[in-house]
Amino acid sequence: MIFKLSWKNIWRNPVRSGSVIAAVLLGTWAAIFLSAFFSGMYEQHIRNELDNHVGHLQVHAPEYNEDARTAHYIPRDDSVARIIRQYSFIHSVSNRTLANGLASSSANNYGVTIIGVDPDEERQVSRIHEQINTGTYLDTTRRSPVVVGEPLADRLKLEIGSKVVLQFQDVSNEITAGLFRVVGLYSTSNAQYDETHVFVHKKDLSPLLGRSDLTHEMVARVDDFHRADVYADSLDAMLGGVVVESWQDVSPMLRYINSSLDTMMFVFMAIIILALTLGIINTMLMAVLERTHELGMLMAIGMNRSRIFTMILVETFLLTLTGVPLGMLFSWGSISYLQDTGVDLSIVGEGLREYGLGTHIYPIIETDHFLYLALMVAVAAVLAAIYPAWKALKLNPVEAIRKV
Amino acid sequence: MAVIESHELVKIYDEEGVPVRAVNGVDVSIKRGEFSAIVGPSGSGKTTLLNIIGGLDEPTSGTVSIEGTDLFALDQNERIDFRLHHIGFVFQAYNLIPVLTAIENVAFILQMQGKPNRECRQRARELLESVGLSDKIDKRPNELSGGQQQRVAVARALASKPDFVLADEPTANLDSTSSANLLDMMAELNRKEEITFIFSTHDQRVIDRARRVMTLEDGKIVSDETREPETA
Ligand SMILES: Nc1ncnc2c1ncn2[C@@H]1O[C@H](COP(=O)(O)OP(=O)(O)OP(=O)(O)O)[C@@H](O)[C@H]1O
Ligand SMILES: [Mg+2]
Repeated sequence: MIFKLSWKNIWRNPVRSGSVIAAVLLGTWAAIFLSAFFSGMYEQHIRNELDNHVGHLQVHAPEYNEDARTAHYIPRDDSVARIIRQYSFIHSVSNRTLANGLASSSANNYGVTIIGVDPDEERQVSRIHEQINTGTYLDTTRRSPVVVGEPLADRLKLEIGSKVVLQFQDVSNEITAGLFRVVGLYSTSNAQYDETHVFVHKKDLSPLLGRSDLTHEMVARVDDFHRADVYADSLDAMLGGVVVESWQDVSPMLRYINSSLDTMMFVFMAIIILALTLGIINTMLMAVLERTHELGMLMAIGMNRSRIFTMILVETFLLTLTGVPLGMLFSWGSISYLQDTGVDLSIVGEGLREYGLGTHIYPIIETDHFLYLALMVAVAAVLAAIYPAWKALKLNPVEAIRKV
Repeated sequence: MAVIESHELVKIYDEEGVPVRAVNGVDVSIKRGEFSAIVGPSGSGKTTLLNIIGGLDEPTSGTVSIEGTDLFALDQNERIDFRLHHIGFVFQAYNLIPVLTAIENVAFILQMQGKPNRECRQRARELLESVGLSDKIDKRPNELSGGQQQRVAVARALASKPDFVLADEPTANLDSTSSANLLDMMAELNRKEEITFIFSTHDQRVIDRARRVMTLEDGKIVSDETREPETA
């Protein structure tokens, strides 16, 4: 009976009822879609940084972390690498020779980090080889090849085939230099990195430093980068004489972004849900106050408080609980479409590159997160129904009837 | 025994610091089967008195007992329930639920009393027939004239077989023909089914139909006469 009356009441003002449904729909969609969008954005940022630059785990000599000199290489790197590779969670390992120095062209010079790699190994842990826009990666027959980032090429006026002199200290702290030829220009989503990092063959760099094969850094990929902290700890405990760090240790910024995502989402959802709740309360309150006389009459003729309360509550529920599933459907649809296509942000794309993002954002959401958000919106909508219903109880039947 | 018995009823409103004695010491006793009018100038306290007798408003002091129940010894919820089962109301306006049809409006009271649906509709239909609206049972209030709406309200008021029906200016919004028809109908229900009616009115033609007329002035009953009504 009450249910039937509520049902009829929501058809009194279809525009208003429609707008409540639309608001709930939009609120649900906004909560879920924006959450997926930002998760996608941050996940992408973190993945880009890990894939292109940081890797999942890094191993250094303890002295190297204090002072990044070429002399502070990893002793007995072969056996360290062999132990690491024995772990099943290790996907791949690349040994790198590092030197900080100066890159000079005929036009200019600039401070860079020179990374010596074995291209076959490096492919397994990073994706710089996929980011070559002009020329090729290091696997070329040309002698002493170097791959530089596009911003550095601009600065030093380099093109394919240009000569670059790389200058740095060798293991005895003597200044030394080598002549390299640009074979490829790369560009990742992190322009600042691109400007300051160049890649050469490990076997070209090591001899210049005074040893035939030197490793300053081992970079490993693991099966699940979210667990890198745990893996780093267990390796660190196993291996003596070296420091094993997770990507979170290496880049506190990424750790912060990763952990602040939840907080940010929470604030975001709170704002959306608050706005939605206020919207529902406002509209339904209007629906109640408009019916002051009628509600007064109902109380006068014997409709008790719990029935009045239930009636208003059910009215709101019917609207919100139509809106929530519709909103879920819409967000599911838009997310599944866009997680393949991506949200094209190329209009603002240049700005995004500064933040280490691509021009397309691929929203992602886990099922339980999706359901959780929908539930949160539904709970908020239910709570929002209570206030107008409670307000209806406060009506005094005499006053309500008297006001003609 | 009286259906309604009030003792020393006083209702004082506070009008911006000035106390207004809307009802000022009223003792009334209404017996079963009465057809009574409460009359008096505007502001004399008719509505206030009816609201208190109907348990919609609480008196500042004094008591009302209905069939032996002290109305203001009940708490708010008990009083709502008491109204549902013992008192029928007809207001000047806003009587009906606009989204329900005539029959649904009448049946609503019975449904709230927890009667089975079939019985509710059956009785609602009979009541609408008895107020002369058998052809309008599926109409919504906005499809009915003012007089027809008031008839539905009377049918609704009677649905719960109340001890009495209170009607505050039931004809105030009606033209003279509709007023006369409504009064005829109420008088007939009173005569045939012994329904107790108490109504307030300004309308002389309505007053002429009453068998008992109580006149209020400044919250006091200044005259109370019982007589044979003029027949229309
Ligand atoms: N809620 C209120 N607050 C303050 N004063 C009130 C209130 N309700 C009624 N009054 C006052 O009480 C007095 C009696 O009012 P009431 O409505 O009972 O008169 P009435 O006889 O029904 O008048 P009418 O014929 O105009 O309907 C009036 O002076 C009115 O102003
Ligand atoms: Mg009045």
